[in-house]
Order: sequence, then C-alpha cells, then structure tokens
Amino acid sequence: MEVSGVKIVLDHLTVGYPFWSLAAKGVFSPGIHLISGDVGSGKSTLALMMAGLRAPDNGTVIREGITRTMLSFQFPEFHVTGLSVADECASWNLDLDAVILSAGIDADEETPVLSLSRGELKRLHLTCVLFLDYDLLLLDEPFSSLDCPGKEQVCRQISERSGGITVIFTHEQSIFPRIDHIWEIAGGELVDCGDMPGAVVRWQHAPPLVKKLMRAGRIPHAVTPEGIREAACRTRG
Amino acid sequence: MQDPRIRLLCAFMLSLAAFASVTGALAVVIWWLVFTPRWHSIRHRHVILATLVLFGIVAGVMTLTGSDGLSYLVRMIAILLVGTWVYAESAAGDFLSVGTWCLGTRIGFEAGMIAGMAMQMAAGLSDDFCRIRMATQQKGQPWGIRSIVPAGRVLIHDALRRADETAEVLAIRGYRNGGTICPHFPTTVRDVVAGICAAVALLLVYIPVSEFFIHYR
Repeated sequence: MEVSGVKIVLDHLTVGYPFWSLAAKGVFSPGIHLISGDVGSGKSTLALMMAGLRAPDNGTVIREGITRTMLSFQFPEFHVTGLSVADECASWNLDLDAVILSAGIDADEETPVLSLSRGELKRLHLTCVLFLDYDLLLLDEPFSSLDCPGKEQVCRQISERSGGITVIFTHEQSIFPRIDHIWEIAGGELVDCGDMPGAVVRWQHAPPLVKKLMRAGRIPHAVTPEGIREAACRTRG
Repeated sequence: MQDPRIRLLCAFMLSLAAFASVTGALAVVIWWLVFTPRWHSIRHRHVILATLVLFGIVAGVMTLTGSDGLSYLVRMIAILLVGTWVYAESAAGDFLSVGTWCLGTRIGFEAGMIAGMAMQMAAGLSDDFCRIRMATQQKGQPWGIRSIVPAGRVLIHDALRRADETAEVLAIRGYRNGGTICPHFPTTVRDVVAGICAAVALLLVYIPVSEFFIHYR
C-alpha cells in the first residue's frame, strides 16, 4: 500500500447545530489516532467530515495522497449488503473462511447475516474492514456492542495496522489498541493532546485507571492493557 | 399552527377532501397555500421528490391502462403536501397529548404514544437511509434502484429490533397500559380560522352543493 505523503488537514473546520457546535483544526499523519470525547460531543459528525461525507459549515478538509477511505459506522447493520454471511464476505471481496476464523463468530456461509447478534455482526464487519488496506480508515465507536474479549481482539487487529491513517472515535474508557496520537473533543473544540506517551498527561478524558497511575507518578508509555499493566507494576527507581 | 388538536383534525379533514375528488384536492392546495409556511414546511426534499416520481409513475401506468392518472396524481400531491406540513409542524409529545385529551388515559394514551413513537422512528429512518447509502458507496458498490431492497431489509430489521428494545424497556419500567398527562394547548385565532376553512373544504366536497340551487336553475 502506498502511504508515503498521506495526510489529512483540518483547516479551521466549524460545524454548528442549535444546541452545540464543534471547531476543529489539526494535521493527521500516518499512524493510529484516538479521538475521545463524551457522547454527543460531535465525534460522528467530525468523522463524516473527515471522510468527505458531510460538508463543514466553514473551513475545509484537505486530503493529501488519500485514494482509499473507509468510515466504519457505529452500527454495523448500515454496511450490510448481503443476505448471508458468505454474501457479505463476498461483497468485501474477502475469503469467507478467513473472515469467520478471524472474527471468531459461530456462523457458516448460509447463516443470514442479520440473524447474527449485534456483537457478532460488529466483529464480522470490523474484521472485513481491518482485512483491507485503506489510506484513511475512520472507526466510529468500534468497541460499542463488544464484550471484553471482543474489544481485545479488535484492539489487536487495529494495533497490527502498519500503514495509512487510522482514526478511532470513541468514548471507550477501558481497553485501547496501540495509539500513536491522542486528540479529544472538549468544550466544543478538537484539542490536540500530542504524540504518545506525552499526550497522556494532557488527556482530560483519560480513563480513571490511567489518571490514578499518573497521580502516582507512573505515566504509562502506552494505553494498551500491556502498557497500563507495565506502568502499574513499574518499580520506582 | 400552534394547537396540535386543530392541526391533526385539519390533516384528517383535508386528507379526506383531497382523496374524494380533484375539486377537493384543489381546495386543499389553496388551503395549504394560505395557512401553512408553504415550501418552508417541506423537509427532506429528496424524499418528497422521490415520492412524487413514484406517484408520477403510478399515474402514468394508470393513464396508459385507461384510468384517470391525472386525477390520481393531483389528489396524491395534495395529500402529500398535507402530510409534509403535519410532519414539519409536529413536536415531540403532540400525539400523546392529543390522544389522551381525545380518547382518555387508557386507549388515548396508548394510541398517542404509539403514534409519537412512529413519528420518532420515521425521523430516524431518514438518517439511517442516508448512512446506508454512504456505507454502500464506500464499499465500492453503485447506489441505484437495486440498492433499495438490501437497504429496506436493513431498515425493517432495525425498526423491528428497536421496537423490541422499546417494548422491553417499557416492560422493565413496569408499564402495563395507559397513563396520565395534563397537556396544555395554545390556541390562536388563526388556528380556529384554519380549522373552519378545512371543515368547509371537506363539506364542499361531500355535500352536493348544487342540489341547493336546483330550484334556482
């Protein structure tokens, strides 16, 4: 996949509704970005604008070198176009057995795709998306509807991504994949917390456990379960 | 229009008038021009346009098969205008308030609540349809007439799932049937005049007015 020179620039975006507004500016370079924020803070709207599926009220989104974009919606049903699991995998041009094995769902080729539970469908959809290469991959609430093992599996799949820009929009507070850069929406504005590990210090929406570790002077180098465990077990020198 | 009781009554009477005859439909269009914000009351213009195209196709088929397609088209456009106006002017809780006021705290409350939920779901369906179109196009699949069936399948599936979830939530909260609400309806003079005019439009269609003048002729 050609990813050199790929970047996305938010040039003074603003979008407003009667009861809230959002302003965003910043540059997203290749790597895994986390955008955290409360429910209703405008994460999904920002994702739509970054994907080019919604125009901002003001400002522009500049996509440099991006030819393949995917916005994974919070509700996986929106992406379903096939009748069966086999049809659905075929619609993504993917091998059925490889997808079922990786998603870890109890289904066969004839299983109606909409008969899967929301969690199973989410895992199937995310597996399909993460099997493919995109210059810009936007994941809107990828952990919703998933149990802890499901979240861990998706985190592993996301962490394995080596190219392109991956942006995770979430209010998740427990399990994270490898993150290179943290942003958060606070007070109607997209705030750049910076690259990891320094970003975690400026991260207002940091999970309670991370905040507790920081108060104890143990700043995690990563927000993955392994990174947090390492910080918790770190011996003070 | 401020008063939801008069609004819903107007919608009922105007729909009957428009459906009855072309004369009634024209009376409804005149009423719509006088008493509504006209084009400003039309939301989701793409959906309305698509519906008009559908009506046009049906009218065309009717004309080709010897029926009065033009009459059908005019009447359906009038009903569509009334429907879009009611949809645009409705606020959350209107149906619940009117249902309870009209039919009481058991049947009225239930009917109003169901109608309110249906309206809420209709608003969500439009957004969901947009998202499905975006998701399909991102997959690299062309969006066209063939996409309607899979999109509809997802919309129906989601609507049934949400209905199930809502029923479960109501049951968990101990809801059995009926309920109490004390609605306040702000009525303006314009509302009353609009209501009277809607009633007149309906009467003109169903009462053979020419019979009154038969002796004169």
